[in-house]
Amino acid sequence: MYLTVNGEPHEHRGDGTVSALLAELGTEPAHTALTVNGNLVFSKDWEIFKFSDGDTVEVLTFVGGG
Amino acid sequence: MNDELLKLGSHTFGSRLILGTGKFSDTETMIRAVEASGTELVTVALRRFNRDKPNDDLCAPLAKLSAVRLMPNTSGAINAKEAVRAAQLGRELSGSPFVKVEIHPNPHHLMPDPVETYFAAKELAADGFLVLPYIPADPVLAKKLEDVGCAAVMPLGAAIGSGGGLSTLEMIKLIIRDSNIPVIVDAGLRAPSEAACAMEMGCAAVLVNSAIAAAQDPVAMAEAFALGVQTGFEARQAGLMLQSEFAVATSPLTSFLS
Amino acid sequence: MKTTLPEWIDPAPWLAREYRVVDVEHAIGTESPDESTLAALLSPAAAEFLEPMAARAQAITRRHFGQTIQLYIPLYLSSYCSNGCAYCGFASDRHTDRHTLPFDAVEKELDSIKTMGFEEILLLTGERSSRADIDYLRTCVRLAADRFHTVAIEVFPMEQDEYHMLAEAGCVSVTMYQETYDPEPYDRMHRWGPKKDFFNRLDAPARALAGGLRFAGLGALLGLADPYHDMIALYRHTRHLQKTYWQAGVSLSFPRIRHEAGGFTAPHPVDEKMLAQIIFAFRICLPDVPLTLSTREGAPFRDGIAGIGINKMSIASRTTVGGYSGNAPEEGQFDINDGRSLETFQAMLHGKNLEPVFKNWEKLYRLTA
Repeated sequence: MYLTVNGEPHEHRGDGTVSALLAELGTEPAHTALTVNGNLVFSKDWEIFKFSDGDTVEVLTFVGGG
Repeated sequence: MNDELLKLGSHTFGSRLILGTGKFSDTETMIRAVEASGTELVTVALRRFNRDKPNDDLCAPLAKLSAVRLMPNTSGAINAKEAVRAAQLGRELSGSPFVKVEIHPNPHHLMPDPVETYFAAKELAADGFLVLPYIPADPVLAKKLEDVGCAAVMPLGAAIGSGGGLSTLEMIKLIIRDSNIPVIVDAGLRAPSEAACAMEMGCAAVLVNSAIAAAQDPVAMAEAFALGVQTGFEARQAGLMLQSEFAVATSPLTSFLS
Repeated sequence: MKTTLPEWIDPAPWLAREYRVVDVEHAIGTESPDESTLAALLSPAAAEFLEPMAARAQAITRRHFGQTIQLYIPLYLSSYCSNGCAYCGFASDRHTDRHTLPFDAVEKELDSIKTMGFEEILLLTGERSSRADIDYLRTCVRLAADRFHTVAIEVFPMEQDEYHMLAEAGCVSVTMYQETYDPEPYDRMHRWGPKKDFFNRLDAPARALAGGLRFAGLGALLGLADPYHDMIALYRHTRHLQKTYWQAGVSLSFPRIRHEAGGFTAPHPVDEKMLAQIIFAFRICLPDVPLTLSTREGAPFRDGIAGIGINKMSIASRTTVGGYSGNAPEEGQFDINDGRSLETFQAMLHGKNLEPVFKNWEKLYRLTA
């Protein structure tokens, strides 16, 4: 399916779960927060959540900041 | 005066220096500076994960510092709604109750928006966050933020990254005088002596980033700031001597007291 | 009876310390006063420093209030009282004629006072009674607010919603002296009546500010108990209210027992020097808080201390009910020791380069009154 991830088109080849997308992106799930179509998806809901074709996904992590 | 510990909500901290983790040349230097400073609370910012720079992620290296708690900020937010969203994402990522609310609509001077900050702080405090708002040094705003349940207020000493020092000194004194919550100077400090000065005035802590990250030797400067904060805190406890002797009027004012 | 003070007002930690000359010198010059500053300035060691304390107090008073003295006048509405305050001329066991002004007489009194030129009036009653209850008071506040810029009350402790009702009627300020902040002598001095409840009275100013009044006037009646204890507690009460109700103003008075009807003798008499020391100390410790002195004190003392700490005074006062429209010869709540007319007093102030102020503009902005 086709997603928009952090503003760029992304073809997702996995099963549409959060863990599959994060593995594809190479990020550590414990260090990641997600919004899908503008809504925060809490990590406690990741197991049951499935992406849909066309979803806009933001994958966020911490960087240095003051 | 046995308040040796900084208290934010029900949490206590042995160090009264809070460090920002931005603007360092590399993560390793930042981590070493954090360690050298002795800080127990650092601010972090949210960003999109970048596939090309996976090492920018600070979660893993910061997680190794067991004594350090995280305080996500809301930088990038330009209004209350965005700041609330950023805070929720930050809490999701960090598991920390602390949030530094910073809302600066103007990308040049980065001065905090007092109106939006107030509304964001009110909503987040009601939602259980320990809110530390970054604000203009305004005594009225500081009391209003205390009233809505903030854990501390963080007035600016000068513009972010300006190194302008404690240019808001008189206003910060007024904030401290009537505040029931910790007052933390955030932004503007350039030298450890200014951190000491803030602590001597009665600040509960200082938050420093640029002055350490942009020093020639950030690790050594982090340690110097720790010493400055400690010096100022101890001086406050010890009680400063007077600046000048009082004058005695030439014609007595108390002659009416027979 | 609970006899321990809550931590936020307890003066004990500062009473336990001894203050030396160096502490006094430091306190006179400090820019960041606190409880220790006040305790040092009230201590016996400071008695030798009255002149430098006066100089500093005068400089601070000028800085914050300019060369002005705000003037106000009290109006006694009712002398009925069910309390047994040992020191008070209106105590229920005193044989004095009791009166409550009917509304037409209230209007007459208000008009007489207004003609004199006052803009701030303080309405007083005894304890809550069927003659002077909240409804009576509300009507009196409304009548006063129709005529005066600032209406203040010095009455019985009320609940927050009652204060709110009075605020809506146009009252902006409440005066509530704790008399003494020491529960034990408080209990002895207030022999019977609702006023025996120390803590209900202690919390009344906070309830008034929460109820929407803008100003609270605090004080302790000097002479009843140890003045060091009471003055440090008074300072702490002030700071507590300032920090909690930060939009409200606090002002302080320094009433001193001299001679009242019934021959009460103050167990802890405070002389003029000590009173002056207290006033200078409070001015140094609370630079922007209005400090008030009534006509309980005599003319020489009032003239001397005007502008040196004190920035607000009453004058031409009657402490009898109905005293302004020419009747009521009975004994008042306390003896007036400065019986000068408003004109004479203003002339004295002008002679000292002080401007009498009858503030009358803020009311224009208020929507309630």
